[in-house]
Amino acid sequence: MNMEKYLDVINACRFCFMCRHLATLAAATGKEADTPRGHALIADRIRMDKAELSNPDYIRSIYQAELSGACRKHCVSSYNEVGLMLALRQDIVEAGLAPAAVSELAKEFMDVQFKVSGDGDMLYYPHPCIETHQPEIAKAFLSVVPNVKVIEGGDCGKVLQILGFVKESQAVAVRFQAAVKASGCKTIVVSNPAAYDFLKTDGAIDGITVLHSSEVLLKAQLGSAAKLGKLTFINSDFLRNYQDCHAPKELLAKLGCEVEGFGANCEDSYACGEGSMPGIRLFPELTRKMVAHVVGIAKRFQVEAIVTPSPFTKHALMTYAPELKVLAIEEVAAAAKL
Amino acid sequence: MLISRQSYSYEMLRSELTWVVGDDNVQTDCSEKLAHSIDYYWVPEVWHDRGLKPQTPTFIVHPGSAEEVAEILKIANTHKIPVTPWGGGSGSQGGALPMYGGICLDTKRLNKVLEIDPVSLTVTAEAGIIMQHLEWEVQKAGFSTMHFPASIACATLGGFIAHRGTGVLSTRYGKIEDMIMSMEVVTPTGEIINTLPVPRHASGPDLAQVFLGSEGTLGVVTKATMKIHPLPAVRKFHAYLFSDLHSGMVAGEKLMARRLAPSVIRLYDHASTISIIKRVLGIERKGAYLVFGFDGEEDIVDLQMKKAVAICEETAVEDLGTEGGQTWWDQRYKFYYPPYTFQMPQAFGTLDTVATFANIENVYWSMKDAVKEHCPEANYIGHFSHWYDWGCMLYARFIIEKPPQDAAVAVALYNRIWDAAIRAAIKNGGVINEHHGVGLKLGRIMRDLYGPAFNVLEGIKKTLDPNNIMNPGKMGFQGV
Repeated sequence: MNMEKYLDVINACRFCFMCRHLATLAAATGKEADTPRGHALIADRIRMDKAELSNPDYIRSIYQAELSGACRKHCVSSYNEVGLMLALRQDIVEAGLAPAAVSELAKEFMDVQFKVSGDGDMLYYPHPCIETHQPEIAKAFLSVVPNVKVIEGGDCGKVLQILGFVKESQAVAVRFQAAVKASGCKTIVVSNPAAYDFLKTDGAIDGITVLHSSEVLLKAQLGSAAKLGKLTFINSDFLRNYQDCHAPKELLAKLGCEVEGFGANCEDSYACGEGSMPGIRLFPELTRKMVAHVVGIAKRFQVEAIVTPSPFTKHALMTYAPELKVLAIEEVAAAAKL
Repeated sequence: MLISRQSYSYEMLRSELTWVVGDDNVQTDCSEKLAHSIDYYWVPEVWHDRGLKPQTPTFIVHPGSAEEVAEILKIANTHKIPVTPWGGGSGSQGGALPMYGGICLDTKRLNKVLEIDPVSLTVTAEAGIIMQHLEWEVQKAGFSTMHFPASIACATLGGFIAHRGTGVLSTRYGKIEDMIMSMEVVTPTGEIINTLPVPRHASGPDLAQVFLGSEGTLGVVTKATMKIHPLPAVRKFHAYLFSDLHSGMVAGEKLMARRLAPSVIRLYDHASTISIIKRVLGIERKGAYLVFGFDGEEDIVDLQMKKAVAICEETAVEDLGTEGGQTWWDQRYKFYYPPYTFQMPQAFGTLDTVATFANIENVYWSMKDAVKEHCPEANYIGHFSHWYDWGCMLYARFIIEKPPQDAAVAVALYNRIWDAAIRAAIKNGGVINEHHGVGLKLGRIMRDLYGPAFNVLEGIKKTLDPNNIMNPGKMGFQGV
């Protein structure tokens, strides 16, 4: 089983409580099963009795995990609890045990074709989120960096990977890679941190440099965005906890924004389940709870406007808390255009 | 009363509980039951490790208010169903284990900071808040609770109250019972009561002290007001190496006897110094490692530090400097993360106790003898981590590298060591526990510790909880 690659994680996390304060979904649900300890206990049960892989309660918990990576980043030994959950999802899929809703969702992401348009040395991949295009993000980026080619068509394989359909994810990734190579560009710029993470890891393309949009915008000639007033920053889990990319914060500093971190600390994830984006389709009530958790904090600290480099987070917040003012980082940069 | 899933009672109870807290907040699924069947007590861990299945609760209920807690307890009284409160679930004494099934009352929805009073320097919060979250919010307002236990990331405010928890700065700022101003408590019969608003008074006995350390046997704490402090201008540390435990202990006693008001003192025995201090802090020395620290206004701290350093210089064999102390502070929680902490396949227990300075070294040695007598292959290590004007706490541990594979044999050995060590501590002036509580693990020794006074505790329990629904079988009280 794939999960057996993570026996060290199971052994370390099954009786460990040291990251529970950062368990993002558990903070919203209060459930023990939504913590890395809960996940490791479930994995351990499955390790001891393979038949437990078909336990519907366990399958649900495994798919509900929000995969923020906050606990892994906090852990002094960096035990890869995210990897364990992805491996379990892969095991569920390979055993033919994926719930119907998961399989149906996965099918939507299998038959994608990619096309490239425009002119430029860089290739921009604006596909921002799981289910809706957010044209304002691409529009904002292209207003600052207009001379680029654009690749479109759908998700490059990350969603399928998150769902545990690893072979299918790789098949999509191969098509995406072919389209990128055919473009002749050596650099691809992405707005979606999930895609950024995928193209830096399992979906990496030989000879192609991957940049997040904020890394490119950092080098652009921009003025001040201070006129936007006080902004509160919600980071992307993929950028902070997976890739250790700090370009968005550097960009905001360069733009002269008055920026404060969201909440009372810099370790919690407020990305509303970005790490497991398909969750918004599979378990919308959980996304709603994570958003409600963020809204509660926003009210307590009198947040006026949120800026985030995560299109998913913006989408989740706008879906379940439309009263919030949320800007993508590309939109902040566009506001500083000279 | 154990409730079969296929029974009228099960469905009736689920309906009643759901009516109170909503469908989302009554869980019966395997994932939640599994996670609520194991806390930080070694026995359920070894059961799980050996493929056994610890007792699970029938229902896990997440109330969102004191009123909902009260309604749940009234239902439990009507049906005489055991209720086991669960905060973070990180207790090491089995106090949160649902040993008779029934309702596991998970308090983590009670997680709001309600008020920070910058004039009186207090914070009021719901008791299910995880301590780190509370501390972060208080810090954002420019203050600190000064409560920094190793379990800050996982235990709740209510959990600390239930077990008389403590943090690393206890020597200056006290244990949780010193930090609490007042509490809201739901009694076992469902009344919502409040203790007096201030902790110092002459208005009768201090009711708060009845609930502090009651481990969920006398009610559910739903809200508390605790003291907060300004963030200190400076926090400084220093460490020394002593040739042996006794000389380190004498130095620590002098630091306290001179009333220098350190925020922390920690003295590690030789066995700890050569093992965990080396492994976690990278300080490779033989002897007894002593660290202390002060916080507050810089000129005052510097003066305190100067006097403390002078005391240690008299007998220490090596000055490890501020760096040797700061490293400890920076890494203070690392001791408890895997792989630095003790974990399976090891068997381990924290035999923490407290005694006067006159007795504490005898307690240390008598416990060591007891452990060695009953399990010669066990390692015994200890450090002294919470210091008072009159004595200090011993955080002794036994570790068995390869315990018996059979869970029953392993648990029998484990319990035998506990019995012998704790009874040795009591005989020499110690007590059952200093800040982890009694729980399931040590309840059987309570009557020995208290003698006839235990009847008083039992009387309080029977008065407050006539149907014995609250966490039965814990703290030496009657089971179901």
